[in-house]
Amino acid sequence: MTLFRLECKTHTKSLLIWMIVVTLLTFGMMAIFPSMKESMGEFKNAMPQELMEAFNISDMAALSTVGGYFGYIFQYIMIATGIFAAMLGTNSLAREEAEGTIEYLYAQPISRTSIIVSKMLSSLLLYTLYWIISVCVSLLICLIFKESSASASDLVTNFSLFALAGWVMGLTFLSVGFLLSSMLSSNKSATSLSLGLVFLTYILGIVGKLQHDFRFLTYFSPIEAALPSKVFQDGIEGKYMLTDWLIILIACCLTFWIYRRKDLKV
Amino acid sequence: MLPVIELNHISKYFGKFAAVKDLSLTVEKGEFFGFIGPNGAGKSTTMNMILSFIKQDGGTVKLFGQEMPAGNVAVKKRIGYVPSDVRFYPQLRVQDLIRYTMDFHQVKENKKEVDELCELFQVDRKKKFGDLSLGNKKKVAIVCAMIHQPELLILDEPTNGLDPLMHARLFRLMKEKQEQGVTIFLSSHNLKEVEDYCSKIAFIKNGQLIGVEDLTKMNKKVKVVTLKGRNLPVEQMEAIGAKSITQNEDEIRFLYEKDLVQLFTTLKELSNELDDITVSNRDLEEQFMSMYENKGGEW
Repeated sequence: MTLFRLECKTHTKSLLIWMIVVTLLTFGMMAIFPSMKESMGEFKNAMPQELMEAFNISDMAALSTVGGYFGYIFQYIMIATGIFAAMLGTNSLAREEAEGTIEYLYAQPISRTSIIVSKMLSSLLLYTLYWIISVCVSLLICLIFKESSASASDLVTNFSLFALAGWVMGLTFLSVGFLLSSMLSSNKSATSLSLGLVFLTYILGIVGKLQHDFRFLTYFSPIEAALPSKVFQDGIEGKYMLTDWLIILIACCLTFWIYRRKDLKV
Repeated sequence: MLPVIELNHISKYFGKFAAVKDLSLTVEKGEFFGFIGPNGAGKSTTMNMILSFIKQDGGTVKLFGQEMPAGNVAVKKRIGYVPSDVRFYPQLRVQDLIRYTMDFHQVKENKKEVDELCELFQVDRKKKFGDLSLGNKKKVAIVCAMIHQPELLILDEPTNGLDPLMHARLFRLMKEKQEQGVTIFLSSHNLKEVEDYCSKIAFIKNGQLIGVEDLTKMNKKVKVVTLKGRNLPVEQMEAIGAKSITQNEDEIRFLYEKDLVQLFTTLKELSNELDDITVSNRDLEEQFMSMYENKGGEW
């Protein structure tokens, strides 16, 4: 519990910064929607279909609805969310060794299992807070800028499904981040590993979507399964959720297994 | 009574390099135990194994009779540790670090004792840990290691960065703690402080224990005689029972533990042939050097 409190206190500042940035970005991008929605239909076949799919746009007309437009712009926030979650995980255990604070922490009466549990729970809380607030603010912004014909209750339903899918996506990156962190003894590479992890899986999702022979690759892309454009259209697809939960479970188990056995760098 | 620290044939390899090789030692309750050796001898590796930061490749570590790391949490409630290089959470204020330490140990703040410790070591509790100097960081580590009334204090080079006043206060406090029954395990380079305060010392070199000495029983009557000159009187000195320990072209050192009158009579006779004569008590450093030389090593 003490470490849990210490972790929450340590990360509150970065959590606030991320939330403010995401809110401002979402607001800024949505603010131009009312002026753009009129002209979007005119660009109908302006781009090849594959390119539009790669950018997660089903058709240009979709961009003239608040859901469609939000689905398009928010995929970039999803990537940022993935990076936030992955970095939270990758830094968690490795930073203690890199900064030498593990020599204080592990000299206290605390087991390695408790260290992982406290850090996982605090990261889970921070990420969940970040996500809930980001989604709520986004919903509010969408309600402000929505076209008059769009139904508010549909938006709320869509957003609640999307909130769940996005939350699981972040948890997947968080848990893989923890696994990487348990293997590292320095957090120097944490940022590059997090960026690599998120972008690689994002690209796998695009390749899988465009090339039917590589369709299976979409299972390795947590962002792909949770994109608002997809969730708003198809709802949550159970098979993707299952893959995510499976990855979370395996990553968590391996984190405990590795960290309990490793030599801590002091 | 169970020993407080019991290392049984522990080894640690980093690749093919043996950082610690088959090391065994026992520290009894209430001992002020000095652990000395040159840089890279394996002192910190041994301490890291004692505290379960790293796992030994062979042998067992027992603290308070409990095998590590199985007894880790229970045992660490009874330990205070001062690392050599103090790197605590830089963003926390000293008072927060003290509070977190007590929370980890699930002890209530004894305000009077914390005040006393902070005053003794002149610790500014309002400052952020990251803003402190090396010496002040060390003092915070000492306070954090002592506030939960540990039964075993493990200190890795505790005087690094401390000014002479704080140095003296730390050792006086540790002596008081020892008198109250606390066991102290201290690694150091400084042979003088070890000699003045420790009741027992262990020498380590190249990862191997080369001797354990009980300073309470050490024969302090042994003299070291150093003679300088062109014609060194080896035979005459050996005839009165002096044992040569080192010799080079114009200097020789002897150990002598017999009658002093005979020693000084002989030295008086030899004085005309010599450039310089020194007679001193054999201190820890001398013993340390002779142990290493016997093992064919260099300090």
